[in-house]
Amino acid sequence: MVNIENVLFTTTLLLYFAAMILYFVFIAVKRDAVSKVAVIIHAAGLIIHTAAIVLRGIAAGRLPLTNQYEFATAFAWGLSLVSLVFILKFRFPVLGAFAAPVTFLIIGYAAMQSKKIHELMPALQSGWLGFHVSTAIIAYGAFGVSAVIAAIFLLRDKMKDKGFLDRNIPNKEKLDMISYRSAALGILFLTFTIITGAIWAERAWGSYWSWDPKETWSLVTWIVYAVYLHLRIRRGWRGRSAAIFAVVGFVCVIFTYIGVNTLLPGVHSYA
Amino acid sequence: MKTVRKIWKFLTSMKFAVALLVILAIACSLASLVTQGQTYSWYAQRYSERTAALIIAFHLDDAFHSAWFLTITAFLTLNLFFCSMAQIKGLLARTRAAKLPSETADVTADGVESPEEVFKRLGMPEPKLIEDAEGRETLFASKNRAGIWGAWVCHIGILLIILGFALGQMTHEEYTVYGVPGQSKTIGDTGLILTIDSFRVDLREDDTVEQYEAGITVRNALDGSNESAKISVNNPADLYGMRFYQNSTGWAAKVSVLKSGEPLQETVLCAGELLPIVDKPELIVYFNAFYPDYYYAGAPATASGRLNNPGYLYSVYYNGEMLGMNVLTGTDVLTIDEYTVTFSEPQSYTLIQIKRDPFAWLALAGGLVTMLGLFLAFYIQPKKVWAVREESGKWTVSASSRKGGELFRESFYRAVKPENGGENDG
Ligand code: HEM
Repeated sequence: MVNIENVLFTTTLLLYFAAMILYFVFIAVKRDAVSKVAVIIHAAGLIIHTAAIVLRGIAAGRLPLTNQYEFATAFAWGLSLVSLVFILKFRFPVLGAFAAPVTFLIIGYAAMQSKKIHELMPALQSGWLGFHVSTAIIAYGAFGVSAVIAAIFLLRDKMKDKGFLDRNIPNKEKLDMISYRSAALGILFLTFTIITGAIWAERAWGSYWSWDPKETWSLVTWIVYAVYLHLRIRRGWRGRSAAIFAVVGFVCVIFTYIGVNTLLPGVHSYA
Repeated sequence: MKTVRKIWKFLTSMKFAVALLVILAIACSLASLVTQGQTYSWYAQRYSERTAALIIAFHLDDAFHSAWFLTITAFLTLNLFFCSMAQIKGLLARTRAAKLPSETADVTADGVESPEEVFKRLGMPEPKLIEDAEGRETLFASKNRAGIWGAWVCHIGILLIILGFALGQMTHEEYTVYGVPGQSKTIGDTGLILTIDSFRVDLREDDTVEQYEAGITVRNALDGSNESAKISVNNPADLYGMRFYQNSTGWAAKVSVLKSGEPLQETVLCAGELLPIVDKPELIVYFNAFYPDYYYAGAPATASGRLNNPGYLYSVYYNGEMLGMNVLTGTDVLTIDEYTVTFSEPQSYTLIQIKRDPFAWLALAGGLVTMLGLFLAFYIQPKKVWAVREESGKWTVSASSRKGGELFRESFYRAVKPENGGENDG
């Protein structure tokens, strides 16, 4: 079973890579047919990716969301899913050219982690873990898409060839709106993640908040997005500064996820 | 007076809130870079003396309880509180205004034949017909008025979290008790006595721990009543208003002391504990550490978590000076003058944490209220649509949605002219 999972995982990696290249080619040659093939390969990658995750869950006999590898592949899955939905929903294939490299980087990071299935230490044997981690994946995926769209927002003025752009990239106001919707989803789910994490910590360690670096950084991320929300309310601050905060927020997300584990000490270091 | 008002206005403004939030984020990230709760010498060794001095001077060693951190939080709390209070009037007015057409609209389309269709396509409830003094007819519908309160509810939730957390910090009680089955210990000054009835460590094939489980009984010394429970990691128990957690484990052993061959004392000692000899208290045996599967590889070590070759690392002190240190295995005994000390019957002890936080529920409630507020703010978007009948008999349809922005405008055009797929030609 683990072997099949490996094959599926590698296939996913290759399909995501192919989709990414095709999205780039689409931008270069500006042919709609290329974007259609890219979307199909992206979708195929997502299906096989889903199968790989499900298979691992069956092999481990639990939710496959407990170590760095499992979380990274799930994170890439969330990003792949949310970006595909946004590409189809807003007829926005250019998003693929920006989101696919991020997805590919994250799944590439997953590929570098140990794939061994570990038994869970007692503190991790909790139903709250499932809630905690799956809400985090949705939050992270949504923040990723929000940041990618914010980056497109910031770069839009620099792009030349207005005809192609107007057909394939929504206008700035709409980009701002889509980025906001995505960030809003992320904030709601990050709040959910923090609350379920606190409930779990209280049951496992007897304290719902202990300023462990991972907790602290999830709070920092939460605050950055709170600032983002407030910046958007003020007319003068809308748009550009909010977009910058959406990108900074995602940098915090990535740091909370990878940086904290590798650079700072804490109880989350096993995850 | 004017300046006072200006200052007050700034202190309750969103601009100040954003500034405080940015400062708080920076403060938290700085504090996370420094391992908390260490001493000057620890930091000096890790970094440099100068850095260590800075860390101590700015209380970065205990940043989250420092005066500056509390000051930022206090400002944020006051700001949020007064800001929220000041908003109530405006929010009530907006809630009332949401029940009537506005002077201005975000989008308008004229020449609409059947406005009811537009209401339906926009997912609005059945519109009400209003006739004004001049007999002009207006169809009106609004929905999601609760969304107006989203941000406010979210802020109240945040205030509750801060309040719950702060009260918890001030009032919570915390004790730890450890021991082996059969032992009873008092829990601080609570008047409760904890007896450890059983303790089990389940190992898997590969030596990793599956679960720790302790059976405990708590007795109230005052009225003699008692309650029992089983606790394991992730499954604490609530007894007498306190919560009991299976926290961790360690090794203990039976230590027997003979004096000139006669039994003198016998006790269960946990690794890390001292045993003064009863009739010669200046002589102390310290149980440094235990190795269940002992071997020597430059330093004492254990090959596994199983009791294959128990090794007891001890040291002996006399009048505070260390006389020696060694490891006992097999049938080894420790002999000091007329005293013979033996270690035997190694077993796991349990460390139980006991907590009471009377305000944890408030912080949790605050979290749920915050979630509710966010949900209202993001997903219950207030919308209203109204249609005024023109002289021609057609209708002018207008709509406003403060939050909907471009996306709402698009869906409006789609609803008005569904055939052209929402292209904005107006
Ligand atoms: C501490 C973290 C905070 C969070 C997470 C937060 C969250 C929010 C949210 C979700 C909104 C609604 C945004 C939207 O609907 O697009 C909002 C709006 C607002 N917040 Fe905060 N807030 C925080 C702190 C503060 C503070 C300290 C103040 C104090 C002044 C404040 C004042 C406001 C104001 C005035 C609005 C605008 C309300 C409106 O336009 O309807 N916020 N905030």
